[in-house]
Amino acid sequence: MSEQFPGGFVQKRFGGWLEKRIPRASQITLNQQSIFIFPTPRGLVFGGLIVLLILGAINYQNSLVYAVAFLLGSLFLVTILHTFRNLSRVCIEFTGAPGGYVGEEIEFGIRVSRPAGASKEGIRVAWPNTVKQWVDIHEKEACGIKLFVGGAHRGWFDPGRLLIETYYPLGLLRAWTWVDLAAIALVYPKPIFGGSPVESATQKDEGELVDPLGSDDFRDIRDYQPGDPVKHILWKSYARTGKPVIKQYGSYLDPRFMINWDAVAGDTEERLSRLTGLALDADRSQRDFGLDIPGIRIEPGAGAGHLKRVLRELALFGVEGASPAPKQGRAS
Amino acid sequence: MSVSGIEIQIPRNALALLMVAQAMVVGPHSQQLSPWIMGVCLICGLWRWMVYQGRWDFPRRWLKGSLVVASVIAVALSGTNTFSLEMATSLLILAFALKLVEMKSVRDAYLVIYLSYFIIATEFLFSQSIGMAAYELLAAVTVTAAMVGMNQMHTKVRPMASFKLASALIFQTLPLVLVLFLFFPRIAPLWSIPLPGGAKTGISDTVTPGDIAKLSRSEEIAFRVEFKSKIPPTSQLYWRGLVYSHFNEGAWTQARRLHKGAEEGVIWGGEVAKIMSQGSSQRRQPQRYSRGAPVSYEVLLEPTQSKWLFGLALPVAAHNQETQFGQNDIGLTRDFRLLSRKPVGALLRYQVDSYPEVPMDLTLPRWLKERETRLPVNDNPRMRAYARQQFAKSNGIESFAQNILLDIRKGQYRYTLSPPTLPRKNSIDNFWFDTQAGFCSHYAGAFVYMMRAAGIPARMVGGYQGGEFNPRGKYFVVRQMDAHAWAEIWVSGRGWVRYDPTSAVAPERIEHGLDAALSSEDLSILSAFTKARISNFAGLADVIYVIDSIGHNWNLWVVGYDPDVQAKYLSQLIGDISPGKVAIVLLVGASLSMGLVVIALFWRRRKNRMLPVLKIFIRFSKGVKRFGFVRESSESPAQFIARIDPSQHALVAQLDHLLYNSSKSSSIELNLLRKRLRKLQVAVALGLIKEYETA
Repeated sequence: MSEQFPGGFVQKRFGGWLEKRIPRASQITLNQQSIFIFPTPRGLVFGGLIVLLILGAINYQNSLVYAVAFLLGSLFLVTILHTFRNLSRVCIEFTGAPGGYVGEEIEFGIRVSRPAGASKEGIRVAWPNTVKQWVDIHEKEACGIKLFVGGAHRGWFDPGRLLIETYYPLGLLRAWTWVDLAAIALVYPKPIFGGSPVESATQKDEGELVDPLGSDDFRDIRDYQPGDPVKHILWKSYARTGKPVIKQYGSYLDPRFMINWDAVAGDTEERLSRLTGLALDADRSQRDFGLDIPGIRIEPGAGAGHLKRVLRELALFGVEGASPAPKQGRAS
Repeated sequence: MSVSGIEIQIPRNALALLMVAQAMVVGPHSQQLSPWIMGVCLICGLWRWMVYQGRWDFPRRWLKGSLVVASVIAVALSGTNTFSLEMATSLLILAFALKLVEMKSVRDAYLVIYLSYFIIATEFLFSQSIGMAAYELLAAVTVTAAMVGMNQMHTKVRPMASFKLASALIFQTLPLVLVLFLFFPRIAPLWSIPLPGGAKTGISDTVTPGDIAKLSRSEEIAFRVEFKSKIPPTSQLYWRGLVYSHFNEGAWTQARRLHKGAEEGVIWGGEVAKIMSQGSSQRRQPQRYSRGAPVSYEVLLEPTQSKWLFGLALPVAAHNQETQFGQNDIGLTRDFRLLSRKPVGALLRYQVDSYPEVPMDLTLPRWLKERETRLPVNDNPRMRAYARQQFAKSNGIESFAQNILLDIRKGQYRYTLSPPTLPRKNSIDNFWFDTQAGFCSHYAGAFVYMMRAAGIPARMVGGYQGGEFNPRGKYFVVRQMDAHAWAEIWVSGRGWVRYDPTSAVAPERIEHGLDAALSSEDLSILSAFTKARISNFAGLADVIYVIDSIGHNWNLWVVGYDPDVQAKYLSQLIGDISPGKVAIVLLVGASLSMGLVVIALFWRRRKNRMLPVLKIFIRFSKGVKRFGFVRESSESPAQFIARIDPSQHALVAQLDHLLYNSSKSSSIELNLLRKRLRKLQVAVALGLIKEYETA
């Protein structure tokens, strides 16, 4: 039984079968149709132990050794029910993904909730090829978890089917399922910082003050306060009045800064990365900025929503079917 | 598979449970194994505990290696037989203990868990008592709890939660275990295996005077007997087990085969029935005796580690034609004893028909006569002369035997559990003429010796005499203290005839059991339990009877549930036994018992969400409705009460309080409310409160 969600020919057939059995839905309540159950290697060894005990009981004609063998055999059967029950009626829901950058671990929010009156223990949740996250739900009805997947590419990223498994209570059996929660995350280009923007700070003392301690333009005069740079002290005035004042300088930026396709060098991906870096820089310095790339122009603006719009365009630049829905099958 | 580090570590919770389980599982084996093995277990346990506490480190590899080598060598040198069960168990327990100190990963822990279950099973090869079964069930729950703990959250230490779930799991298996136990086909052993050795208990095949006296102090149960036919009087219950034909240096032993052609063969299984109509040596002679009604009974023999079984004179083991099993392994010897093919290592259950009226050996072959009259030449000269002289005076064999019994009765002979020690040479002379105090084997030995000295074929028989009837369970308990020895002499025309010289010296022994025959001095050496049992304090005796009959039923229904018994009950249930029918019974039984578990696990109980306060109030409303008090739909419960009886301020206030602070209602408050409402209801019922005109 493979642990990973498979990718070969046979697995494709399996994937198709799974598609019909557990169709895509952003919320799934597990039932006997979606839960698979099979002994673990440990469970098979346990079966071997039972056979050994029965052989011993036969050869020694010992009733109580029979009883031990029967006890273990029944334990195995009863455990099937318990293991199944631990996943049964568990509700799995995709609660959203904030998005991330290529090369990062992309975050997905999953909510696991239990039916009333049945606490769940030892449920493990994971995307293919990732670390399994342990979920226990005792007091609360539900539990929100964050799962991270690496190796995403730019654009819409579909991590595949989500593995829900449990070995509870004895580790002899594994109940599992692969659910398709239609989970999807937007992956932005990997930002490259320190690119050389063609347009930099303007020489005019207009626009938005971005660096109050910059040294480009004289701004004002004010009283000296301990800690001010000594070289900014207006010595003439000090000689005249006996009271130290300092000259204040500042930097001003062009309020209509456009992140421009032609301002950066490299191939498409590299350009996108640099543009992303610029956009993030601009956002970090709380500057208005716009986007100008082939086919798309966004007028300057600021704020989280604006940044998201810009990043989204950068992420989906040249990606076919840029709209996430409807999605045909698994993205590969 | 991506495995985070946490997954291959053993949760501390599980580890703690596992250590407790290991101690529980190894504990009972201390009875079988050498003390040093237990020492190794203790040291390993201590070491692991210190590692658990974080004080010590795991032992180094070289140390582990040398421990393993040392243990194997020690077992080899310890003198247990190679390939014996004790040796296998010793190695198993040692491996188990050593595994403990290197248990780090989940994989190791599972190995230890599986070994624990296995060791629980091996303990049953040594003891199958009800107490042991209860103990091992608890051990199994603990082992299962450790396995549960392996699959629970790693960060929490909460062994009780694991233990609770494990108990629930084991409890839910019980119906299915019962079905499997009853109906799972039991088959004959597939290959031969080493049987538990251990000390042989009960009567041995060599008797020096004094051996049986030692047994007499033992309260242990030898076997229990359920009679299917009329119960013979206790004085006739001579359970023959061994025949001692050979006397040398003061000790009686079983006969050795005299020559190759001697007809000593044991007749096994179904063939036994034939001995009934024709003894093997009398095949050509038409029998002229009547068989008489058989005495039928079932014996549940506790393990003796010996091959001989016990039965009343001329025993024929019942043979189950259908299963061809079990009783095939019971044979009848040439001297009319029952014999098991293998040493009895576990409780053995066998059915016997005894024919007390059928004579044993109507004719005596020459080789047998030679064997049963042989005496060592230069031993006990006084006895020999005395016997010949007495025989000459007597009128035939039987009057000679009676005269000897008369001698014993009239002489100064004493019956005692602690007789003076006798020399190996001339022991019988010494006893008969000098010490004159002895136990049953002294008297039987002297009697047989005298017979043989006079040329009469005679032999000593060992076994048990009598037994205690348990009026609760309607069966006989025969204990080691009932061990007995007596004599058989061959009389022409009657075959072997039983003579019990002990009955001459202590007739109470035969009539009322051992304790009746003992002097107060002898009684004082018996255990306190025995004294309590044989005391006439009725209440205590009854309790002991009940306890013993529980043990007996356990033997009957669980330990002794063998293929024969299974076949018997199965055929009562389904008629002819065929594999198909058995499969159907198993399937139906298993489905039913699993169905129970499914209902228990998946049945969604409809939650009764009604508040307890409301429940109490509604019951009250129904109660007063019959007397014309009906709550208006616009009335609150408190208003309703106030309308019935405006003076009930406390009740109204309490009801309001409980209704609107229902989460805080304690059971004391609810009880008070219930009481008040009931009082009011009674008042209404008695007509103390008249129906109120509603507006």
